[in-house]
Amino acid sequence: MEPDAQGNGSSVAKTAIWLVILVLIVGGLIVYGNKGKEKKEEVVKEPIKIGVILPLTGDAASYGEGARNVYQIAADEINVAGGVSGRMLEFIIEDSKCNGKDATSAAQKLVNVDKVQVILGGFCSGESIAATPVAAEAKVTLFSPGSSSPDLTGISPYFFRNYPSDASQGKALADTAIAKGWKKVALIQEQTDYALGVYKAFAEAFEGAGGVIVKEETSTANSDFRSQLTKLKAAKADALFVDTQTPAMSERIFKQIQDLKWSPAIIINDATAGDVKVISTYKTLLEGALTAEFSADPNNAQFAKLTADYKTKFGAELPFQAYGQTEYDAVYMIKAAIEAVGYNGEKIAAWSRTVIDWKGASGSVTIGTNGDRVGGHTVEVVKGGKIEKYQ
Amino acid sequence: MDIVPQLIANSIIAGSIYTILALGFNLIFSTAKFIDMGYGVLTAVCGYGVFFLSSKLGFSLAFSIPVALLVSGLVSFSAYKLIYRPLRARKASGAILLIASLGVLFFLQAILAIIFTSQFQGLSSILTSNQTLELWGGTMTELQVITTGIALVLSLIVLIFLKGSRFGKAIIAISDDEEVSKIIGIDTDNLIGIVFFIGGIIGGLGGILIGLDTGIEPTMGLPWFLSAASAAIIGGIGNVYAGIAGAFFLAFVENFGIWKVAGEWRLTIVFVVLLVFLTWRPQGMFPR
Repeated sequence: MEPDAQGNGSSVAKTAIWLVILVLIVGGLIVYGNKGKEKKEEVVKEPIKIGVILPLTGDAASYGEGARNVYQIAADEINVAGGVSGRMLEFIIEDSKCNGKDATSAAQKLVNVDKVQVILGGFCSGESIAATPVAAEAKVTLFSPGSSSPDLTGISPYFFRNYPSDASQGKALADTAIAKGWKKVALIQEQTDYALGVYKAFAEAFEGAGGVIVKEETSTANSDFRSQLTKLKAAKADALFVDTQTPAMSERIFKQIQDLKWSPAIIINDATAGDVKVISTYKTLLEGALTAEFSADPNNAQFAKLTADYKTKFGAELPFQAYGQTEYDAVYMIKAAIEAVGYNGEKIAAWSRTVIDWKGASGSVTIGTNGDRVGGHTVEVVKGGKIEKYQ
Repeated sequence: MDIVPQLIANSIIAGSIYTILALGFNLIFSTAKFIDMGYGVLTAVCGYGVFFLSSKLGFSLAFSIPVALLVSGLVSFSAYKLIYRPLRARKASGAILLIASLGVLFFLQAILAIIFTSQFQGLSSILTSNQTLELWGGTMTELQVITTGIALVLSLIVLIFLKGSRFGKAIIAISDDEEVSKIIGIDTDNLIGIVFFIGGIIGGLGGILIGLDTGIEPTMGLPWFLSAASAAIIGGIGNVYAGIAGAFFLAFVENFGIWKVAGEWRLTIVFVVLLVFLTWRPQGMFPR
């Protein structure tokens, strides 16, 4: 009987301990929850929370870091100058890893837990495509300064962007390729929404003018492109279009092109063109390569100030200048929106469609009724490891 | 232009790396008798070791490669001593050991990502010269030729060592029957520990060669583990010699498979081949 009795005794003790723990947890939650409420009522001028989703890990982290720094510069400026209607701007940053799955959970967290009315992001097109339904459902504005896939055009009244659609990038590149007399282009495309968008826009214009595209796709996890490149080389195309999501991916492909002793005429998209380091590392291979960017204007006073501030604050050149200009403007546009219509996702989304000729670091911003920025990409060329305007 | 020579060259490049990785994988599997997924992360551990010593601290490759190999061997050895051995002593099933090793993989991968960030790093800039050579209508870089050489020499060393040395014979005995080996006086615990150490060095060597050729990132472990395991299973799992055949078979199927179909089918082709072997020829390419 003894062991049994002991067993009972210890299980009673255990139950008691669990009960105590349960009471502590529940009690704690109630007390903590109340505290939050009291705070809200007391402090009227609490900061305005802006959700941010951007890639901070993985190959696309290089974009995310730059974006985070630019957002911080803009917010610091605004807060030092007195904030938005007397309230400070505060970012809640989530890592969306350049994929739809993580962008969805990041958006859900921002919408449900932090209760933000505006989300700045995503950066990668795949992030924005996935996060839009979450934001729209909760009547929260999703404002992307970097996603450029044509699939985002008119996707939802709650989405808008101050970066133009890649429809213009693909078309500008195709027009130039045709003007150069290229009939056949080999293309290697990473399987992401952004790269697919660029391909579709390019193919529409290039094949529409009678051109032929030989295409190979590759997954983001792949690192061995040798046989795919061998096939493309054998296709004897006039040029090779390296259509990737990140410069890291392009770097791997460039290396293997060189290993094959192949020196084709190259076309790169704006995701690679923005990376100063990769362009200069592979300057021999990329000499004369075509690209199209939504170029920044160095004579724009606000943009010049941004690049200077970035250098003093972070000790490095502003990376991906085409994106930096729109990221900087995005924070100021949110400020303008909140001052005009208040901190309300639905109203800010409606406000975005009224933006006409808003002056910022990226020049004059006009948002169309489909949520896209009006404007487009200009064709550029790589010369001596630097990007220049194409003549 | 005929692309066959280049496809052969590409297959040899991939097959050499698979051979090296499958060697270490098979050595560990044949003695410890479980699928060690933690083996994959050693490629990243060793790759980052070289990256840290050579790129960050400026040591020569002649110094940083042996040190990184040693570290990779010790990490593998410690994983055995601290995790797998206690589990094996408790008669844990292969499935539990597999999950434990998956834990090791993600744990070390996360640590690497915290220390070095998860950004892709190319190691090729460490090499002072890496000319592209033209061989019978295909191209290979010097490093890729060296990798092929290392794969062949390493295979030979392992084969001679298994056949010729007392230690090698003890390993074969353990792989035949661990209980009986214990009874006839083989210190199986220690021996398996040494095998994990050697396996760690071989996996790490693969990681360095991958890093110098394409580059490294903390998450490289799982895909490379899958390639090594697929090569080993196709050859005949646990059979060190067959792993070499499996590695080259896999590489050729992969590279020639996408000759006529689009390249995005590559992984599909690999896993279809793997499933065919698992279903109809689980013993691998050679009779047992």
